[in-house]
Amino acid sequence: MPRTQKKGAIVAGFLAPHPPHLVYGENPPQNEPRSQCGWEQLRWAYERARKSLDALKPDVLLVHSPHWITQQGHHFLGVPKLSGKSVDPIFPNIFRYTFELNVDVALAEACCAEGAKQGLYTKMMRNPNFRVDYGTITTLHMMRPQWDIPVIGLSANNSPYYLSTEEGLEEMDRLGRATRTAIEKLGRRAVLLASNTLCHWHFHEEPALPEDMSQEHPQSLSGYQWDMRMIDLLRQGNTKEVFHLLPQFIDEAFAEVKSGAFTWMFAALGYPEIPAELHGYGTVIGTGNAVMEWNLERARLSKPASKTRASRRAIRQAA
Amino acid sequence: MAVVSAFLVPGSPLPYVKRDNPPWGKIATGLERAGAALVQSKPDAILLYSTQWIAVLDQLWQTRPRVSGLHVDENWHEYGELPYKLRIDTRLAKACVAATGTLGVKSKAVNYDGFPIDTGTIVAANFLNPGGKIPMVLASNNLYHDFALTEKLGRLAARLASKQKKRVAVVGVGNFSGAFFRHEIDIAKDKIAAPKYDRWNKKILALLQAGDGKGLSAALPEFAAKGQADMGFKHGAWVLGALGRKFTGAQVHAYGPLYGSGGAVVEFVL
Repeated sequence: MPRTQKKGAIVAGFLAPHPPHLVYGENPPQNEPRSQCGWEQLRWAYERARKSLDALKPDVLLVHSPHWITQQGHHFLGVPKLSGKSVDPIFPNIFRYTFELNVDVALAEACCAEGAKQGLYTKMMRNPNFRVDYGTITTLHMMRPQWDIPVIGLSANNSPYYLSTEEGLEEMDRLGRATRTAIEKLGRRAVLLASNTLCHWHFHEEPALPEDMSQEHPQSLSGYQWDMRMIDLLRQGNTKEVFHLLPQFIDEAFAEVKSGAFTWMFAALGYPEIPAELHGYGTVIGTGNAVMEWNLERARLSKPASKTRASRRAIRQAA
Repeated sequence: MAVVSAFLVPGSPLPYVKRDNPPWGKIATGLERAGAALVQSKPDAILLYSTQWIAVLDQLWQTRPRVSGLHVDENWHEYGELPYKLRIDTRLAKACVAATGTLGVKSKAVNYDGFPIDTGTIVAANFLNPGGKIPMVLASNNLYHDFALTEKLGRLAARLASKQKKRVAVVGVGNFSGAFFRHEIDIAKDKIAAPKYDRWNKKILALLQAGDGKGLSAALPEFAAKGQADMGFKHGAWVLGALGRKFTGAQVHAYGPLYGSGGAVVEFVL
């Protein structure tokens, strides 16, 4: 059972992209294929993120993955233990990973219920034979290869693609707020993982040797420039400007943040105007990937939102 | 002629996992009729393209001789599992991998234990080829390929089958209109998401039934855009390509809603 505290809190959020190449490059025992090397800058970025996560000692990790796509509603993993072999349908040559994970079902149910209260169509996934998607697994492995912290997996409802970007991301905002409320109510110490790449323009062919780093570089200059612009704003803590630019970034850089994880995480964090820590940036088959951290605890913002707002109101009234 | 039968079928799991719901049961019955027709055509192999097997880098072809397992749909997990047991015509599949370079397409063979077979392929296979008795060639839907290129891939696969002196059934797996309901509905009262999609589906079905190839060619681009055809109706391109657009009509074994999207089971008259 996760440790609990009086009132729960999100202590940090990470942008934690999921190219399976990073697992392949690392050669963990769970993954069948073996590599010689590859994508070191990103893997070392994840090493730094792992240390930070370790220090945070969370009860639960929540991950929103664009590779569990659902058309009807936002779904939550709801089986206490899930295991199996995950083979990436796009890169089966490099990712065939045997996984076993524990789910914080009580919190997943609370997130599901709070989402419904926000007017979202939500659903629990209770089938024990369900195959967890490779995006969820890659992000979780890269953040916590020990697999010793319970997790919650959230699906990516395809609303940003089926409706408009704005309508879809508005749903993700509500999902994020619902997630935060559930965490607070259940007294969990939680870390959120947004499993998203930034610029998603990619090459259409793989090198003969996937880890041939002489072939790895941004697919497009404009995509790279967009990534740097957004990362710089995030490093400054200019969250407002980031979300002002987000639809344009999505359109022009084909950014994977369209699928919602980034907005979900920021909504749950309360859109903090704090400088992000960039652990590292690198490309994978040309796409832009940043490992970034928003450590609310370090920024002393990890108090429950309602309490923070109440305190601010009290201060304003006193003034 | 290599192609001895050809079909368009929906890839939704609902007729398979929840056939006791009347609107979806009708589609299941239609799929069984199509399956009987397919068996009757005595093919040596089935050339199947599913819009749900998504590829983005290369054109992927399944080349593992036997593929079996238990799949749970990403969206409809509450209705249970989809078991599958397939035999692959590896010789023909490998010939496809080797030949697509002539179309400027790089192909890759997929031969991995545990590779996730998509819902559409499984549903089609279970209805049309129960027990996996007939060897299959499974082709992916590369998102960057358009209708014209997919048609060429279908034509190429049929030509290669002919070269190997094989009789083949061709199957395109996907919906007609792809618009769906996003929220909970009374499934017993399922209907096509909007009347305009219903009209478009019926227009395309009528053209197929009439064997009006010219009319179909003229209508398909507009259907893709205004009728919100599933994946630009590329599963239709696969079948039309394999047939060289030569067919005299079509029999509609079933047509109806699948959580709002348009599901049709169509057998081409050759």
